[in-house]
Amino acid sequence: MIMRGRSIARGRATATLLLLDRPFSFLGGVDVHSGMLSSTSGAEGAVISETVFAFPIGKGSTVGSYTLLQMKREGTLPAAMINRRAEPIVATGAVMAGVPLVDSIELGLLRSGDRVTVDGDEGTVELHDLAENRVVTCIVTYRGKMLLLKRSQEVRTNKGLWAGVSGYIENDEAPEETAQKEVREETGIEGAKLMKVGKVQSIRAEGRIWQVHPFLFEASTDKVRIDWEHTEYRWIEPDRADEFDTVPGLRRVLDALK
Amino acid sequence: MYLTREEESILTGEEGAGPQRAMELLVAVGKIYDADQLVPITSAHLSGVSYKTIGEGGLDFLREMALDAKVKVDTTLNPAGMDLQRWREMGVEESFATRQLQIIDAYSSLGVRTNCTCTPYFDGNNPKMGEHVAWAESSALSFINSMAGARTNREGGPGALAAAIIGKTPHYGLHLKENRAPTMLVKVEGAKDTHDLSLVGHAVGQKVGGGIPYFTGIRPGIDGLKAMAAAMAASGSVAMFHVEHTTPEHRDFDLSGLERIEIGKEEMARVRESLTTGKEPDLIALGCPHLSEFELKALASYLDCKRRRDGPEVWFCTSRSALLKCPKERLVLEGFGKVLTDTCMIVAPIERNHQCTGCNSTKACTYLPSLCSQKVVCADQRQLLEMVL
Repeated sequence: MIMRGRSIARGRATATLLLLDRPFSFLGGVDVHSGMLSSTSGAEGAVISETVFAFPIGKGSTVGSYTLLQMKREGTLPAAMINRRAEPIVATGAVMAGVPLVDSIELGLLRSGDRVTVDGDEGTVELHDLAENRVVTCIVTYRGKMLLLKRSQEVRTNKGLWAGVSGYIENDEAPEETAQKEVREETGIEGAKLMKVGKVQSIRAEGRIWQVHPFLFEASTDKVRIDWEHTEYRWIEPDRADEFDTVPGLRRVLDALK
Repeated sequence: MYLTREEESILTGEEGAGPQRAMELLVAVGKIYDADQLVPITSAHLSGVSYKTIGEGGLDFLREMALDAKVKVDTTLNPAGMDLQRWREMGVEESFATRQLQIIDAYSSLGVRTNCTCTPYFDGNNPKMGEHVAWAESSALSFINSMAGARTNREGGPGALAAAIIGKTPHYGLHLKENRAPTMLVKVEGAKDTHDLSLVGHAVGQKVGGGIPYFTGIRPGIDGLKAMAAAMAASGSVAMFHVEHTTPEHRDFDLSGLERIEIGKEEMARVRESLTTGKEPDLIALGCPHLSEFELKALASYLDCKRRRDGPEVWFCTSRSALLKCPKERLVLEGFGKVLTDTCMIVAPIERNHQCTGCNSTKACTYLPSLCSQKVVCADQRQLLEMVL
């Protein structure tokens, strides 16, 4: 999977990812001789040298830019860096020391240990060895209520969790076709009216990336006939969705359809 | 960010590796702040001079840049880790001095003036109203934004160097008039001298953070403004402030609806106490920011005909240009301590010889514990000097 961000410092590198969940200061955050993170980093003892080092944003003293130069001298630099949002201290250090840096990347899709390629010229991050699936998630509403379905034990993923209508997009199928088909098959409702198409959401779960296409339908009836994929259904107030044990990313699908 | 054809060609390396790297830096920062374009600058001022701060990595970088890059505008330099001539008297080790002089040489080959002061505006680098510039050194850039009406963001050393090499800087932030409006009103009572203004500045910097305060109740002179700029940049990240009836842009903005705070004697005393962590200084250091010609003269006239007794060492930190105008005063001051140029108590490795420093600048008092492992006595100039009279 290729994620598009912004090119901040040029160059290209492939390495194993090390992900921090909090803002990072190079000054005081890393030992320049060993490349080892200090206790303030939240991942004490991890070594950033030769890794693709990902963290949300830089912080701390502007002297941190020079820390990267010192690491260059010591041969302990990371191979590349990824930020959710770059700021000048890390960006300056990256350009000066020649470390590829890409920002505007959703770090939630990354995990430490992933093999990734950072392309600082194109502003992209490529995730290797990770399966990717395209699916639709359809929220069906009827007079202000929305339909939640409980997934059966027969389905491949997310057994027993509450979800919208969903299904894999076949190779040559348009996502909208899949959506119409799945609503018919999983609810028995004919002629539901497509109200809105949401922006595609990338979600990482069960060791793969799900490219979720959100759709909103208005049904003309609340009579539902579920098939083998579900064991139960409920019509609920939309703001009660979070009270249910739902599949990963359902909240993001709902937000994408607002 | 829009780049002209010429800028694009620098970015692809057609003018060499140094200018290319400089352009990459500007483009990276421009992207981060959504700048629309680069804007030509008339001057630059650089931090990142002391060997203590930038180390071997920084020296490597400067040497690499100096291979094929030169600054295109008048560019001055922040204080170094030692007096470039009298470093032995300061107790600086030979190994440090060698590296420090190599850093100065590298800047010199880049075409940078190597006067080494945090008050370059007293040394001919004095941009005028509305001019775009790229300045590092938090106190100097705040002074030049506020007092001169020149326009700069809070640059880091490398960013300011890149701008000086290209002769341009990304157009965002304080380069745009609408971003120079006050964010807080500060009414000051009872601030009588430069030290008081430094205390006021410290308190305001803590409250306003990265905002732009508008002061009433004071009429500071140049030295007062310089002390305030330094104080607020150290306790907060203030890059600009307005003073009623004093700074050139104070009339340009609507003040209605702004948050108001008051700073008086009590707050000043609180700041002084909070910064004081020691009792008996073994070094008294004046000149943060660097002492001006006026301040050197005032100090000399106060000390003239007085006699020094034993006690802590005294440093008067100033710029070469100010000192050149004060030959007689220099002799007086030399009777009480070292008159040092090119450096200051923060960037010099004073921790080798001193444990407790007395200082009247809240900026220095803020940084002395962390950057120089010092205990601190924050007091006004007269109180400090009385320790040796």
